[in-house]
Amino acid sequence: MIKVNNLNKVFNQNTKKEFYALKNINIKIQTSSCVILKGVSGSGKSTLLSILGALSKPSSGDIIINDDSIAKLPDLHSSAFRSSNLGFIFQSYNLFNELNIEENISIPLVPLGFTQKEINKKVDVALKLANIEHKKDETVSNLSGGEKQRTAIARALVNNPDIILCDEPTANLDNENSLKFIEVMRKLKKLNKTIIIATHDPIFDKLDFVDNTINIKDGKIT
Amino acid sequence: MRTSTFLNFLFLLIYKHKSKHIAISLISILIVFLISSVLFISSSIQKEVFNTLDAQSDFVVQRINSGKIVNTPNSWIDDFSDINGISNIQQRVYGQYYFESANKYFTIVGVDLFEESTNKDIKELLKILNIQEFMKKNSMIIGNGVEKILREFKYFEYYFFRLQNRDTRKVSIFKALPKETNIIANDLIIMDISLAKEILNIGEDQSTDIVLNVPNELEQSNIKIELILKHLDIRVIQKSDIKKAYENLYNYKGGIFLILFIIVMITFVLILFQRYTMISSSDKKEIGILRAVGWSIKDVIKLKISETFIIAFISFLIGVIIAYMYVFFLNAPILSNIFLGFGNLENSVSFSPNIDFSTIVTLFLFFIIPFISAVLIPTWKIAVIEPSESMK
Repeated sequence: MIKVNNLNKVFNQNTKKEFYALKNINIKIQTSSCVILKGVSGSGKSTLLSILGALSKPSSGDIIINDDSIAKLPDLHSSAFRSSNLGFIFQSYNLFNELNIEENISIPLVPLGFTQKEINKKVDVALKLANIEHKKDETVSNLSGGEKQRTAIARALVNNPDIILCDEPTANLDNENSLKFIEVMRKLKKLNKTIIIATHDPIFDKLDFVDNTINIKDGKIT
Repeated sequence: MRTSTFLNFLFLLIYKHKSKHIAISLISILIVFLISSVLFISSSIQKEVFNTLDAQSDFVVQRINSGKIVNTPNSWIDDFSDINGISNIQQRVYGQYYFESANKYFTIVGVDLFEESTNKDIKELLKILNIQEFMKKNSMIIGNGVEKILREFKYFEYYFFRLQNRDTRKVSIFKALPKETNIIANDLIIMDISLAKEILNIGEDQSTDIVLNVPNELEQSNIKIELILKHLDIRVIQKSDIKKAYENLYNYKGGIFLILFIIVMITFVLILFQRYTMISSSDKKEIGILRAVGWSIKDVIKLKISETFIIAFISFLIGVIIAYMYVFFLNAPILSNIFLGFGNLENSVSFSPNIDFSTIVTLFLFFIIPFISAVLIPTWKIAVIEPSESMK
């Protein structure tokens, strides 16, 4: 269960440029559910997602994931939390373009003390889940948008995390690849992953595996 | 973090980012090459000079007249023989000979081949010599610089020295000294002592100076005083003073390069610091991605320090190896002239390896610590930013 209590995110606090990106957010997300955070660009959904993913800290309020508060975790603990519980899929993929798919996917595992053999095994599983195993030796700079997306998915899955966070995952994809992405999400839902997707793409409307849609406007839940 | 997987990733990243590191590596190699070359040259010359000095006598005695050095009477040898603790007193004959055609000076050294106490270095040089053959005719052994000049003027077998009385003296060229002796013997002409006296216009009962040994080091200062008291017009030079003068000379030249090195190093560190402070968006994003996928600040800094260390270490190693080859295989063209000079005869020396490893280690530390610091501080500044910010 993910619980967000009275969450605020303020930029340039106590200055003339003070700006509330998120205002008094309270949500509950059930384990193994699929939730869509919906809103136009600048509504605050990506900010909420990055706070849920411990990529940035809230100005106030709390986030409790599986009974642990992650809002004020020091770096070492928030890194450990990210690496063992979360998989992040970014809009711009955020891959190392000079490395190949397999190398990119192995990056989250490097600091965790696995042997190279164990890493290879986990990478193979993630490659299959994301349907990209046939291209594993290809350098990222040579991949299409859809292939980059699948590489990002495989990297997010390589630690076998319980929670998958997706930030505008279909923004750079054509319709065919967007549908492929949805199929991968469906597969992950069946594997009991908690999926949170921040998007304004109407393709996610009325999907059968989506449990809840949270609308955000001007940093508030509507 | 398992070391083997970390190293696998580290080397993979360095290999894939090689184009990004090339400029900094090349500058690093150049800096290390220059400073290592200077250190190699200066330590090699110092070793050669000090070896030569070690073979010299403990004291040199000269005669001074009106502030000028003049020939020393050989009768002084008998005067000094009375002093207890002195051994191996002998006359030395040497002087400069002006070779008008090339506007160059040669140094003539007269050697008493049958004298027991003849300088060890000269004896070493003369090992190549068949003394009987050498003595049969008026012969000389010449340094490489002298040989080159004489050949330019077609003197292949002999040369006519001009004497004081406008007469000439034909002296055969017996042999040229091996190139390895060039640091000390490039402009040298070695000949029999009587012949040298004739050419340099030194009387039979005179010499250029007198040398002597004092085996008991504790007695040297007392004997110096006794020598001075023997004659009013005497000048006594102790070997340790000459050694100090040479040390100062090479430390001075090496010091100039060290100052230059420090200036270059500071500039380089500033460039590096600037490069990482104005870190490119791709570098910043890279750190953000690593943090986003679960790397801690400590992991990211460890990766960046290791990456920097490996690049700096490889650059250092390449710089030192190139410097070694440049100095000891190619004999340091251009740079050697700064140390040796070629005001008189152009010298083509060969340096013998003499590497002081403590100097190399010091150089390594002086190079690596600022290098890593210049990268570490800006990297740390970025690593502590929230990953969502640095990935933008």
